[in-house]
Amino acid sequence: MDSTLFTQLLISGILLGGIYALASIGLTLIFGVMKIVNFAHGEFFMIAMYLTYWVVHYFHIDPYLSTLILVPVVFLIGIVSYYLFIRPTLASSVLAQIFITVGLSTIIQNLVLLFWSADFRSISLSYATDSLVLGPFPALHIEEIMVSPARLIAFVLALLLSIAFYLFLKLSYTGKIIRATAQDRSAALLMGINPDSIYRLTFAIGIVLVGLAGGLVLPVYTVHPFVGFDFVLIMFVVVVLGGMGSVVGAMISGLIIGVVEVFSSYWIGQENKQVIYFLVFIAILVVRPSGLFGLKEEEELEHIETID
Amino acid sequence: MRPSIEQPRSSRTGLKVIPWIAVLSLFVLPLLIKNEFYLDALILIFLWGAFAGGWNILAGYAGMISLGHNAFFGIGAYTSTLLLLHFGLSPWIGMLVGGLFASSIGLILGVICFRLRSHYFALATLAFGEVGYIIAVNLRSLTGGSEGLALPIQPSLTLFSFAGKLPYAYIGLFFFLAVIAISYTIEHSRLGYYLTAFRENENAARALGVRTGKVRLIAMVISSFLSAVMGTFYAQYVVFIDPSSVMRIQISIQVALFAIVGGIGTALGPAIGAMIFVPIAMLLRAKMGTSLPGLHMIIYGVILVLVLLYMPQGIGSKLKEKIPLLRRI
Repeated sequence: MDSTLFTQLLISGILLGGIYALASIGLTLIFGVMKIVNFAHGEFFMIAMYLTYWVVHYFHIDPYLSTLILVPVVFLIGIVSYYLFIRPTLASSVLAQIFITVGLSTIIQNLVLLFWSADFRSISLSYATDSLVLGPFPALHIEEIMVSPARLIAFVLALLLSIAFYLFLKLSYTGKIIRATAQDRSAALLMGINPDSIYRLTFAIGIVLVGLAGGLVLPVYTVHPFVGFDFVLIMFVVVVLGGMGSVVGAMISGLIIGVVEVFSSYWIGQENKQVIYFLVFIAILVVRPSGLFGLKEEEELEHIETID
Repeated sequence: MRPSIEQPRSSRTGLKVIPWIAVLSLFVLPLLIKNEFYLDALILIFLWGAFAGGWNILAGYAGMISLGHNAFFGIGAYTSTLLLLHFGLSPWIGMLVGGLFASSIGLILGVICFRLRSHYFALATLAFGEVGYIIAVNLRSLTGGSEGLALPIQPSLTLFSFAGKLPYAYIGLFFFLAVIAISYTIEHSRLGYYLTAFRENENAARALGVRTGKVRLIAMVISSFLSAVMGTFYAQYVVFIDPSSVMRIQISIQVALFAIVGGIGTALGPAIGAMIFVPIAMLLRAKMGTSLPGLHMIIYGVILVLVLLYMPQGIGSKLKEKIPLLRRI
């Protein structure tokens, strides 16, 4: 493999990975704070894609601007979903927690199918049709590298949003409360934090983050009712690799998975690349369920115990 | 709940007869149904009820929630079909081979995922099921890829192929009752108690000497075997299989839904779930499948959510509570 091709693949992988990172942060955050795996996470991604599509379609607003305009709407969808589905099952069995979001996912997918049909829809950016050409860089023996502007914009915005969210979590008072609740629910309760309002906020923020990712990729991917499922599987891989509950882990492993995906689809083909990362996924779960950046092992993995 | 002392003896023995009457009427039912559509519904109730019962053995009794049972179903369907197409092997034997193959895979998966609990196990099995789907789609030379495989129609008992629907109804009924019987036996055996103990409190169970690892693997093997057997039955009945009809993740979600709504962790629950859902789905699809696609899935999802929120024990258990007559069965 020559260095031009390698760089080309690496750049494509990183650009893809930035989106995966942004989409997965919400999933890992919700798990970290509420100990709930949101199986409907991909459906919120899909809804945001559709909403952005309709705004672009009817009002001819720039897709990136539409994505930002839609944030309050997606936030509201998150709040409503929290009250209807998540809150009532917070104290339920794992079975109920898993299947409430599975049920939610089924309902959303098929409602979208019912109202907006199974047609594939996509938009194109008038100002971003031609590929950008980077290089050549003779010193590094690298010839011209092609970069899709839509992917580059999506990556840059996703990266900025991820970093902004990380800073919010690290520096703001609300962010600290969220982290405190994730770390120790009872201690947070004793300190006068209202877990219900933190859960509500966390869930809605998680949905907004995945919604932003959905809106950002609209110029790159086609949207259809089942697009969320393909993405949520990747998000699970990212979240488990990064360590469930770890935001930084999700950001880094999002990039890793993006690169792995691009390289494996180059080497073994588009169709089989998924097998690779699902096997990686099972392997991580088995060998190191706390992921690469897992937090305190005992706390995070109260349900995982070795046998004998 | 034990019957109270003042219960007259005669009515208690009378109640014991009820299940047998129910079974007997199930045997007569296929003969009474002359309409092909309703007979089809009955066969599909048997098929999905039995498959959901197989899922329930692992998820209900052992509490290990699998989202990858679509792979076992698909392994069963593809194994018997490929053996039939390439070697002319009778699907009856293919069914056994597929079942054993699936349970070996299940055993390996069980060993690999030994440490995983709750969400983690569900995620690992989800990935496993998806790998099964991708392999079925991409291994075109063997599985025919997305175009699927058509099975030969040559009515003969040894080839598990019949001209009418009636034989399928009785074969389906046999599996349906067999899975209920197996579940009931497990529930009232040492294995069932061990599994329940593991599900409720693993540490306590182990402290009392239950070999939780071993019993879990046994549940996995039985569950994957039964799922694969139903895969073969599906292939022989529908005479066409493709990845999206036998390997999709939705299949796992569907059987889980039947079991949960009917009553998870009970012998009859999955059967009750299938009796409720299969007719709804078939009627909706027949009446408005083209005008309102996906409507039956929306109703599935809504019922699932409502049951989880308001009667997590399932409709079957609720009925038992409400109708005193059923309590004694």
